[in-house]
Amino acid sequence: MIKLKFYGLGGQGIVTAAKMLSEAVSLYEEKYAIIVPAYGHERRGAPVNTSIIVDEEPVLLNSFVYDPDIVLVMDSSIIDKGIVISEGIHENSVLVLNTEDENVLALYKKYNFKEIYYVDGTKIAVKNIGRAIPNASMLGALAATGIVKIESVEEAIIDTFGEKAGEKNAKAARESFEQIKKM
Amino acid sequence: MSYKMLDGNGAAVMAMKMARVQVISAYPITPQSTISEKLSELVETGELDAQYVRVESEHSALSVATAAQLTGVRAATATASQGLALMHEVVGMTAGVRAPIVMPVVNRGLAAPWTLWCEHTDAMAERDMGWMQFYCQNVQEVYDMMIIAYKVAEDKNVLTPAMVCLDGFFLSHSMQKIDIPEQEIVDEFIGKYEAKNSYLDTSDPMFICNLTGSDEYTEMRYQQKVGMDNALEVIEKAQKEFEEKFGRKLCMVEGYKTEDADVVLVALGSMCGTAKYVVNKMRQEGKKVGVVKIVSYRPFPAEQLKGILDGKKVIGVFDRSTGFGSKGGPVWNETCAVMKDSVCDIREYIGGLGGRDVPEKTIEKIFEELLEIKDKKRKDHTTWIDVKSNAMDIRQVEKNA
Repeated sequence: MIKLKFYGLGGQGIVTAAKMLSEAVSLYEEKYAIIVPAYGHERRGAPVNTSIIVDEEPVLLNSFVYDPDIVLVMDSSIIDKGIVISEGIHENSVLVLNTEDENVLALYKKYNFKEIYYVDGTKIAVKNIGRAIPNASMLGALAATGIVKIESVEEAIIDTFGEKAGEKNAKAARESFEQIKKM
Repeated sequence: MSYKMLDGNGAAVMAMKMARVQVISAYPITPQSTISEKLSELVETGELDAQYVRVESEHSALSVATAAQLTGVRAATATASQGLALMHEVVGMTAGVRAPIVMPVVNRGLAAPWTLWCEHTDAMAERDMGWMQFYCQNVQEVYDMMIIAYKVAEDKNVLTPAMVCLDGFFLSHSMQKIDIPEQEIVDEFIGKYEAKNSYLDTSDPMFICNLTGSDEYTEMRYQQKVGMDNALEVIEKAQKEFEEKFGRKLCMVEGYKTEDADVVLVALGSMCGTAKYVVNKMRQEGKKVGVVKIVSYRPFPAEQLKGILDGKKVIGVFDRSTGFGSKGGPVWNETCAVMKDSVCDIREYIGGLGGRDVPEKTIEKIFEELLEIKDKKRKDHTTWIDVKSNAMDIRQVEKNA
């Protein structure tokens, strides 16, 4: 069982990202997943999070994730908004971060994740889809951790966005996957 | 098998579509809104051949659906929380005129305090209104119970509407992989709708719900009681046929690792999944615990529950509704009534209100308490299992001034 927590800002599509991950592992890898979105009073721009549990067997657990194995951060500014992204992490927890800014990386190092996978997913999104919505590109980055195959992510993205927009978003995912750096 | 990714609301819509509902009147309310929206989209694109009546409130939504059903079609609506409360007057009407509507209720707490999130109080407030109520553990069960509900509700010996209750957000917005059967098998299972008994037909008018004196009122209520009682047998039969056709076993009440359990916890809805997970975990530590999941709350499967709980000395019951003024919540009361002739200690627990998550640790805490009670290491228990210690200081205007 792998527990994930996605953090981002309202409007970045983190629930959509969670749904696409769920579909990628459920339909294309014969695994099971459950999403527990934490809907609140959020409006566009407010910090939001979503819990996802992935397993080889049907997932019984139906509650938020408190001890994530993987944390994905779609927008590095959320740590300035009172969100503690390292809450509940353990010695093997991994971070996937949307930035390539050295100063930001330095800030995130202090959380003591075992590994940090990072890439500028927003830049890649703007280049490929013309909008600063990094959900698809950061799913590609997530594939670099090995939890899901990049091919499954591409399929799920095309199913979600349709052929035309899907191809562009899938390209963004592939590019993030290939450009990922690790520390 | 054909797997699809659907959230609980999507699964409910899929079931309504495959039941070929012909009239829809729904009013959107969080967290039900995507049901109303998706149904209107299906009508707009022509994927569903139905009339969509836009109404100004839930009161009208159920009024339209009830009257439409009486003309001889399957009618659809869905609601949650305040919406269900606003429907209340019509809820009794639908049941009384024996219109077997199947309605998803996306469970959400009732104001005040204002909330958008999961709790069962909305449906529990309607428990005596003559509707069946089925509570779901996961998204697959939402679809399956909707399909079963049509079959049971419309049975000539039942003619009783049904609420299929799904936990707000934990199910309504949780996307999961589910198996959707072929349309032909669903058609074969639930059949074409025909109105039985009373009907609305302008060429053959009749009175329905006219003023009924005390010489007949009791008898008409008795007919409802018999219909509800008959449902127990009809549900069992339908679940057997469902298993043959769809390959999934469903039950009105499920005992999970209860046979050799020292203590068991009775619960409803999505938290049953988490409770089963905790059972597996605690059993690895050698603690013999089990879960009883109530699927059918109305009719209440008294005999089946008794069969599972028979011989258990310590039982916990977890209600996701407040049960104000009673010692425990509605499921606790029901469980006590079933076990009235047995010597056992039944403890009432209340939690998961207004969207408060029911995580592993809450369930573990209950099981630990029950085990200690069984071993005579403690007498008391924590009824409000997840209440914070500063509860009495929150929003106390004078204290905080």
